[in-house]
Parts: sequence; C-alpha cells; structure tokens
Amino acid sequence: MEQFLYYLRASLVSIRRAPLPYALTVFIMALGLGVFFANATFYYRLNADPLPHKSDKLFFPMMLLVPWECNDSTCKPPPVLSYANVQKLSSSDIPTAKAAMYSSDAYLRLDTKQPPLPVSLRITQRDFFRMFDVPVLHGSIWPDDSARNEVILTEALAEKLFGHSDVVGKTLLLDDKPLTVSAVLQNWQMLPRLYDANNRNYTNAVEQIYLPLETGYDMNYLSNSQSSTFDDTDYRQLATQGRTGALHQLQYWVQLDTPAQQQAYRDFMHNLATTEQTAGRHPAVINNQLTALRDIVTYFGGESGDIKAFALVTLLFLLVCLLNASHLSLNRYLSNQYELSLRRALGASRWQLQQQMLVDVLMLTLFSLAGALLIGFGGVQLMNYLWPANRLFAGWDLLLLSGLLVLAWLSSYLVTLYPSLRASFGALNQQLKE
Amino acid sequence: MSLHLMLQSLKRRKVVTALLLLQLTMTLALLLNAMMLASQTHASLNEPTGLALDNILQIQLKPTTPALRKYPALGDLLERQLAGVRTVPGVVAAAYSNQGPLLQGGNNGNVFKVGEQDRTNLSSVPMYFVSADFFRVLGLTLQNGELPVSPTLLDGPVQAPVVLTQHLAEQLFAGENPVGQAVNRGPVAAVVSNFYGQRTAEHVFNNVMQVAPLYGVDWGYSLLVRLDTGTAGTVRQQLEKVLREVDSNIEIFYVRSLAEQHHRLYRTEFGLAVLLTLLAGLMLLVTMISSYSNAHFHALKSQQEIGIKRALGASQAEIFIELLGESWLCTLFGAGFGVLVAVALNKLLATVIVIPAIPLWLPLLALAVLMCCVTLATWYPATIATRVSPATATKTL
Repeated sequence: MEQFLYYLRASLVSIRRAPLPYALTVFIMALGLGVFFANATFYYRLNADPLPHKSDKLFFPMMLLVPWECNDSTCKPPPVLSYANVQKLSSSDIPTAKAAMYSSDAYLRLDTKQPPLPVSLRITQRDFFRMFDVPVLHGSIWPDDSARNEVILTEALAEKLFGHSDVVGKTLLLDDKPLTVSAVLQNWQMLPRLYDANNRNYTNAVEQIYLPLETGYDMNYLSNSQSSTFDDTDYRQLATQGRTGALHQLQYWVQLDTPAQQQAYRDFMHNLATTEQTAGRHPAVINNQLTALRDIVTYFGGESGDIKAFALVTLLFLLVCLLNASHLSLNRYLSNQYELSLRRALGASRWQLQQQMLVDVLMLTLFSLAGALLIGFGGVQLMNYLWPANRLFAGWDLLLLSGLLVLAWLSSYLVTLYPSLRASFGALNQQLKE
Repeated sequence: MSLHLMLQSLKRRKVVTALLLLQLTMTLALLLNAMMLASQTHASLNEPTGLALDNILQIQLKPTTPALRKYPALGDLLERQLAGVRTVPGVVAAAYSNQGPLLQGGNNGNVFKVGEQDRTNLSSVPMYFVSADFFRVLGLTLQNGELPVSPTLLDGPVQAPVVLTQHLAEQLFAGENPVGQAVNRGPVAAVVSNFYGQRTAEHVFNNVMQVAPLYGVDWGYSLLVRLDTGTAGTVRQQLEKVLREVDSNIEIFYVRSLAEQHHRLYRTEFGLAVLLTLLAGLMLLVTMISSYSNAHFHALKSQQEIGIKRALGASQAEIFIELLGESWLCTLFGAGFGVLVAVALNKLLATVIVIPAIPLWLPLLALAVLMCCVTLATWYPATIATRVSPATATKTL
C-alpha cells in the first residue's frame, strides 16, 4: 500500500510538472471514448435480444398466398398477413403457442363526461402474453381467442385512469364501447419490440391496452402501421369483408420449441401452399418464410443504417484519439526520460518502473472515464435530439458501463505501454547524458 | 529548405511521424465523407418540391368520438372546420385531404391506363381524396383539362374523376392527351403541375387526386391552409384555438409548415450529416493538437540543431519555413493515404446508408482545409523555434 501511495504521489508530481500535455491526453482519450460510448449505447440496445431464452423458438411464418400471379423468384411474401391466411396458418397444432396481432389507436374514457384520452392498442390473441413473457400483475388473461368485451391494461394506464392498479372487473369506454378490465400488466418494456418489427416499428414502446383480435375486428379497428388491400375489400368493413378478403395487416407468431417442430411446421406450410395452389387460390410461385424472432429485423431490412454508419465512424475516431493520446503520452514520457533513467541508475528495477506505469494507467483510466461519461451523456442527448425515434434506447445499464470501464482501462494501458517501455529501456548512460 | 533533409528529420522521429500520418490519413477520410453526406443532405433539403413551403400550413387531426368519424357528421365537421379556418386573418384558402404532401409513405396504390396494365402499371402512387380548394392551397397550376369543382363519392355508382400530376400523366400516357382517357382509378379530368408527394413512391412527383368526401378517417386527416406571405406565425397561433372552438372533440396531432414537414422528411440524413460534421470538426481539433504537440516537442528537442543552423547563417524565416515545411510534408503524405482510406470508407458506408461516391475535386478542398489547420497548429511552435539564440543553443556543445 505504501509503495502504491508512493507511485501515486510520483504520478501526481509528474502531472503537475506538465499539466497541459496531461490534460490534453485525458481530454482526447475522454473525447474518443465518450463519442464511441454514446453511439455504442444505441448500437448495443438496438441490437439487443429481448428474449434470449426463446428468440430462436419464436417464428413469423409468411407465405406468398396472395391473389396475384408472380412467378418471379424475387417476389417476397407480404410482411403482414390477412385474417383468412392467419386462419389457415393457425389450423396446425404443431406450435406450442400461436398469436396473431396488430396495433391501432383509440380513445379511452371512464364515462362520456370525461374528455377522451388517446391510447395505443395491441389487438391480439391469448398466447401473445405467454410467448413474449408479458408479466401479469392482477387478473387473468382471456381463456380463449373468441371475441369478448374485455381489455387488458398496463399498470401505468390503470393508475392514470383509476388512481390504483387493481382495477380488474372495472368498466371503461373504448371509443365509447363499454369494456371490462380482465387483467392488469406489470409495467414492462420489450426493447427492441421485435413482435412488430416491420417499418422500423421495433423502436416503439409497447402498447397501453390489449384487446382480443376478434373484438378488434368487430370494432373495425384498422392497423395504424401497415395495411394493404390486394383486392376489392373495403377496409372500412373490417368486421365482415376484412375477415374474408385480401386485406393484410396482421403479424403472426408461432412458438416452435424443437428442431423437429420447426421442420414439421415448414412441411405444414409447404403442404398448405400446395393445396392452395391446387385449389387455384395461390397463383404465385411458392415462397414460404419461417423467420426467427432474432432474425426478424434483418429479414425486414429494418436495421438502423445511420447508427451502423456512425458506429463505423466513431470506431475510427476512437482509433485516431488513441493514436493521438499515444503521441502525447510518448512526448510526455520522453520529456521525463531523464528522471526515469536516474531512477534506474539509483537501482530501480524495470519491474518497479512498470509498476509506476500501471499507476499512471490507473490515473489516466479514472480521469478519462469521468470525462468519457460526461461526453457520452452529452452525445446521447444530442443523438436523442437528432434521431428522436431511437430515444427509448438511450439508457445505460451495468453491462454497458462495465464495458466502458474495461475499454477505458485497455485504452489507457495501450496508450501508456509503448511510451513507458521506450523510456524504461535503452542505454542508460546515453539517456542520462541527454 | 531541402526536401531530403526534411525527410531525414521525419525519419529520425519515425514512431511519432507514423502516428501523426495515421491521424492525418483518417482525418482526411472522415472529412471527405462528412462533406459528401452534408452536401447530399443540403441538396435534398433544397430540391424542388413544387410547393410554396413557407406559405402553407398543415394541421393533422382526428375526431375523438366514433360518431364524428362517420358521415354525415364528419362532412358537417369538415365544413365547419374549413369555414372556421377561413375566418382567420391571413388565410387565403383552406382544404381537407386524407393526407398531406411531403411524406415518407402513406395512402397509396397502383395506377395504370385502362386496358394497358402490363405496360403502364405504376405501384405506390399516393392517392389524395380532397376538397376542391386543394389545388389552390398547394398552388398547383392547371396544365390540361378542367379541375373538378364538386365532390363525387368514391364508392358511388360513377367513378370519381381523377387529376394527375404532370410527371405521372407523362409516364402513363407518353405524349398522348390524357384528358378524357381513363386510368383504373377513374376518368382523367385534368393534369396539374408537379408536387412532392411521398418519398417511398416510385417517383416523388407521381400523385393522383380525386375531389371526393374522405373515405375514412381512422388514420386522421389533414387540413391544408394557404397563407399570405409573412403571416405564418400569427395564423399558426390561432388555428388550434379556432378548431377547438368549432368542435372540441378532436385530437390535433400537429400544426406544421410544409417547410418543417420537408425538413422532417430528411431528419435521419440531417442527423447523420450533423454528427459526422461534428466528428470531422473534432477530428480536425485532435489533429491540430497532435500537430502542435509534435512541432512543439520537436522544436524543443532540436534547439541545439537549430542553434547551429542559425550560427551557420540560417535566417529566422528559413527556420520557420523549415518547421512548417515538415508539417506540410507530413500532411501531404497523410492526405495521399487519406484519399485511399476515404474511398474505402465511402464504400463501407455505402453498404449501410445512401452516400454518393467522392468526386475528384473534393479531396483538394479537404486537403486545403487540413493544410490550414496544420499550419495554424504549427505556427506557434515554429515561431518559438525561430527565437532560439545561436549562442545559447551552442553553449553546451
């Protein structure tokens, strides 16, 4: 400990002797690390796996089951499914769980005297909550997928509306239709929200209200993200024509736990396409896709190009900063070479000089880490301002901060290593003469 | 000033010189690509839109009760809202539309000349269901035909006539007179001047308009307002109040000028251009610090050498130029490598974003900027070096 304190004092004396070059070294290190860290925050969180234990077991099946001819192998299945196609895909018992879904908007109030409150809806089926590990706080999820005048709320919305979260059995008006609360969800956030990944929707927050799919269709709720009509279906008649026509607006997920289940479902999809082709309802070439949750963003081509481009550039910037800091550090050590040589002449071993270097590294790590956190925070705020769509991904967690700490230490070590080695080695008599 | 001596001097400090060269290389590479992206974004923000961006306001809104989202109540609401908006001083004209211009994507569909679908089919053409004043609000000039003056039901027994933008008419009818002919959406009544519709469309100037009641307002609708020049600020303040007085059962999502809407269209590119420019600026700063430190340390370490040169007759100006020359030489080498790295970086970036290739003249401009920065950074250390006294510097020899 005493030795450590001695090295610490020696290090501080060295800094005080030439504070400007040291401050510049710290500034440049902090700048490189801070800018890199700000972007790494978004990169890391946007590419995170929200369900690592089952992201390879949840699949989005898509088929080119559309009323137009396409014999070109480049024709891709629509990224959203029609109600009729979902019925066909869900006729199999192979999946452990399955749920169709889409998002919409609505207005909510407790009675007609209140002003309506805009809310976001996920219109879905029972298995959604099990498949995506949605935590239930009060009540229970719907027992089946039939239409029912029931809703599930998030805890935050329940508290906002009623002042407390245990509101199971209470009635509210959703677009002036009375519905009963059947469950309240614990506050949760799935980041990225991969169950709705098309059109970069995975950057949005989870919805506030959950409504049974059949009820959503009965109430004529249209998707607020993507809906495409491939025939004469009147999209205003969702309850009737929407269930039979080629109005595509649904995401559909199946849980296939084993490779055998996955292969069986692929076979099922192929058989379904062949049967539909034979019946004349599948005029296009067969192109079935079974995409896993972890690959869904890549499949839809929704990866964040701007963040990736900036990641590449910030990595280069960090490299430049490290080179620059090495440069400054080398000059600093060469300026102090006489002192180091004198210590060697007085009997200090090279190992002792390296210990001094490690204390220098520790100091540099601490100072540059503090600066990097400040600059990183500023960088995250700036990126939030410029790209508000990514604002949900701006948080830091322990893993990310530990990564920064390791990176700062490693950078400081690399920056200090060569200069200190160069100053510790070499002909002693020559160095003392200079 | 001998080139050979300068090279020797740089060679003597090979580690430091190599570090500096690497920095200069990467700085130039980043600077070039930041310039490319910034100029591309600037060009996008200044592209022709066919619209008077500062004199048109767009209000995006939606009725909050189901009753108001259906006709006839919706028709009545629209009439009352437009009448209310027209009373605001500074408003020249107002119209409703299912969507505004200058969007990423929205309500769109395929359009083709009837009977020639295989040859003329165009996908993702924006569809506007509008009131008759829409053309006046956007300032679209009539090129051919006659604009519809009263709304026709979209699901009525007779197809509602369509109005095409000039670019779309040319694509569909290639030299023929489109008026009186039919596309799958209805008979062509008129052709108007081009305006920017949706960015994801096959062509941003392809648009189809029908004077018709709104088909549905589940996604909300737009009120578009044409203003007298210079009244945008005052009108904007009043619009929300006026609309809420007309009927409070509405949600107003935003009130924006089309200039703001246009800027939002390129927000991602603008953000990246800002960040890269900022980073390029920081990189220049870091390089300046490095150049300064390098020159300063070199000047201190070479006091004896400079002293001897001065004693042998070198003038202060020669010493000054020699030190600057070393920095310039280093910058030139760095820039040479930098151009190669810039091209590689440009290709890498092109795999994740849209970025044009680097034109030949740009490296010269970037080099000039880099030279200025390096000169500025080296000036002070070079000045110090010229002050070395020959007598003092050679005392210890």
